[in-house]
Amino acid sequence: MSVKEKLKQVLIEDLNLEDLTPDMIEDEMALFGDGLGLDSLDAVELVVVVQKHFGVEIKDMDEGRPALQSISTLAKFIEEKQAQ
Amino acid sequence: MSNWTSRSIGRDWQHRFFYLAIKLGGRRLAYLCLYVVVAWYALFSAVAKERASHYLARRFPAAGPWERFGRRYRLILTFGQVLIDRAMVGIIGAERIKVQLHGKNALLNLLAEGKGMILVNAHVGCWQVAMSSLSFMETPVNLLMQREEGDIDRHYFEHAGIECPYHIIDPRGFLGGALEMMEVLKRGEVLSVMGDRMLGDDQNGVPVEFLGEQVTMPFSAYKLASATGTPIVALFSYKTGPDSYDLKLYRTIRVPPGLGRDQQAFVPYVQEFAASLEEFSREHPFQFFNFFNMWYE
Repeated sequence: MSVKEKLKQVLIEDLNLEDLTPDMIEDEMALFGDGLGLDSLDAVELVVVVQKHFGVEIKDMDEGRPALQSISTLAKFIEEKQAQ
Repeated sequence: MSNWTSRSIGRDWQHRFFYLAIKLGGRRLAYLCLYVVVAWYALFSAVAKERASHYLARRFPAAGPWERFGRRYRLILTFGQVLIDRAMVGIIGAERIKVQLHGKNALLNLLAEGKGMILVNAHVGCWQVAMSSLSFMETPVNLLMQREEGDIDRHYFEHAGIECPYHIIDPRGFLGGALEMMEVLKRGEVLSVMGDRMLGDDQNGVPVEFLGEQVTMPFSAYKLASATGTPIVALFSYKTGPDSYDLKLYRTIRVPPGLGRDQQAFVPYVQEFAASLEEFSREHPFQFFNFFNMWYE
């Protein structure tokens, strides 16, 4: 399973996005606001989820801001961190 | 709460008048002027009467007209004194205010856990004076703070003409400052937030009971605590004399990990905070400064 697919799966499970299936989440969909519909406090949960399932820590705003834009940007961030 | 604003009802020149009184005659002259000004507000200002009534009607439900006037006068007077004290700290110096801290060892022990600390404050006493006495922790303090546009009320460091000694996190920033708040807690620092009032467009509130009726209080701090394992402390200050304040640790709140997205899961912990605030309002009934209708209609 690719990082993107796993990411979609864990987001649905851990953030209780019960109305969604992985197929319904587009790679470029914005995580917050109009896209996936997450709110600012979900960012806290998202950071925890990424660490728990991928062993990757989003340390600060410099890392978090570009990474937490879409599934694609977050997956890319995770892959880069895992490769280090 | 839709028409309410946290901006001062006093005019700019009135604030300047009091700053001048402090510079010329110190606290005594400023307080003397305050007695007259507060009497006017308590007797004739419909806005002041209305704003003070929400809390006082809940805190003292059975009160006749004279009692209502007396309590309104005391509440507005204490509020005015706190504003003068706050300005004094900036204009004349923090050493003019003595602050006694109750719970210092407990705070140091919590910090030693290495997960930072979330101070949940409220609009009571003088939190700015309280914050100015936290240097013993030797840890950076970060404040979640939103400044309303056009607010003429100044913080003590603005009076002093110095840089703000705290790092300000703006809730209007990226993701409501959530990542920034997590970042400072991961570094083991102190994060201070207001727990009694919803900020701006914040929708992250839960209903809890306060003074016998339901209010909405924010749960963001509790969610952060659950995600990071950080302890929460309810820390309130109160004026104990003309030049003295006490700062008291009312309660330590431990939020378990993994509470997730269900906001109802945070209600018991926000309710613990509301209970601490109620305890405070019983002990110091005229030092509670939320001048808007917190309660559901």
